[in-house]
Amino acid sequence: MAATNTIINFTHRQAGHCESGATSNLYKFNGLDISEPMAFGIGNGLYFSYIPFLKIQFAPMISFRNLPNMVFKRSTTYLGIDATVVKKVKDPKEAMEMLDSNLEKGIPTGCQVGVFQLTFFPPEYRMHYNMHNLVVFGKEGNMYHVSDTVMETPQLITYEDLLRVRYAKGAFAPQGKMYWINHRIDKPVDLKPAIIMGIKKTVYEMIGIPFPLIGVKGLRWMARDLKKWPAKHGNDTASFYLGQILRMAEDFGTGGAGFRYIYGAFLKEAGELFGNHEGLLEASEMMGRTANKWREFTYMGARNCKNRSKPEEDYGTLSEKLLEIAADEQKVYEKLKKLRF
Amino acid sequence: MEDNHNPVYKDDAYGKSRELSYNYLEGGNFERTVGFHGEADRVVLQQAWDLFRERIEDARQRVLAGKASPVVYYMEKNLLDPLNLSMMAGMSVWRVKWHMRPGVFKRLKNKTLQKYADAFNITPDQLMKIE
Repeated sequence: MAATNTIINFTHRQAGHCESGATSNLYKFNGLDISEPMAFGIGNGLYFSYIPFLKIQFAPMISFRNLPNMVFKRSTTYLGIDATVVKKVKDPKEAMEMLDSNLEKGIPTGCQVGVFQLTFFPPEYRMHYNMHNLVVFGKEGNMYHVSDTVMETPQLITYEDLLRVRYAKGAFAPQGKMYWINHRIDKPVDLKPAIIMGIKKTVYEMIGIPFPLIGVKGLRWMARDLKKWPAKHGNDTASFYLGQILRMAEDFGTGGAGFRYIYGAFLKEAGELFGNHEGLLEASEMMGRTANKWREFTYMGARNCKNRSKPEEDYGTLSEKLLEIAADEQKVYEKLKKLRF
Repeated sequence: MEDNHNPVYKDDAYGKSRELSYNYLEGGNFERTVGFHGEADRVVLQQAWDLFRERIEDARQRVLAGKASPVVYYMEKNLLDPLNLSMMAGMSVWRVKWHMRPGVFKRLKNKTLQKYADAFNITPDQLMKIE
């Protein structure tokens, strides 16, 4: 471990979604000014999957985001930017050395980390969630400067702690994954083809995949299951499972409900880029309204969780609300599918 | 810009870290606000921690009564289940479950204890006793 002091002049901007925030900050550093919603939309941040037979923190697994590193990888591919992704480094020491040599070269590097051992996180939020992303941009002796888009300001973390979070074990283990952009982006980049590809891919993932647990179909499946939980598991467990949906929809960055807002903002930005494209702007408004419904759903659900044993709202009502949301989302994606640019 | 709709919980972690969130305003505009966590967040987070604390306390009582090995306590304390613990410690689930018996745990080799200690991020001495 060489005692080097390097701090790269990296601008930290807070963001709603950890990975697209990190991605957009990396682009900004390399001279391409892309907002967070733009990176989120091009890189297919929007996703939904419900896996009832896999349990995370004692409740069914619900994911509102794509596989880790997808946003960075897809957005660089679609935009045609030269970037490196190191998927897996077997030896933790070697991974840290690679990080150090990158910092010496002046390349801020994104890392996938687990949240549970992350020292600067508030203790209440430390759960086993291995799909968090942060950018390391400086080193002073034993301390690393990291930019975590969830926090307001850049944070400090020690060598040992950073190594531990980068090698957190469990589902979707990071295994030292890191990514960076190789060169400064000098040429102007045309966003339009990337936007079209991004939208097409998202639409495919939300309504096109022929598997019932992914996308809007998964949302419907979850809504139907939600109705059965109280009879099947009892009120307490049902309330805890509902809590898991809400935690995934509200916490961990902005959460799934917030992602709908980000996607709406992306559609609006894209619409303006395409010369006030009517279809896109309309879709953005529809997405915004759907997102508001998500927020209503989380408030209703939270009231339910407050009085566990005597739920205020019927689980049937919640289930209907979710089905309504699913129908609304389906309309948005159908609309996007038919758009001509 | 502070969020006026959400009450601020200054004593808890919810009141200390502010997050950026997006909102939709009628008329097709999206705005970015930095604010504290809302009521809904707080309720569900509290609910989860109530359950975790209950499980940890329950495990502690069982270990003190000699019905389970300290592995159970530390597993609950780290919010793990046997499957995740097996991944962290690098052993099979059945072996991890076997080690949850106090009698079996007493006879474990140092090497195995070290594996658990690494998984829980403590020393083997700490693993032997619980507070």
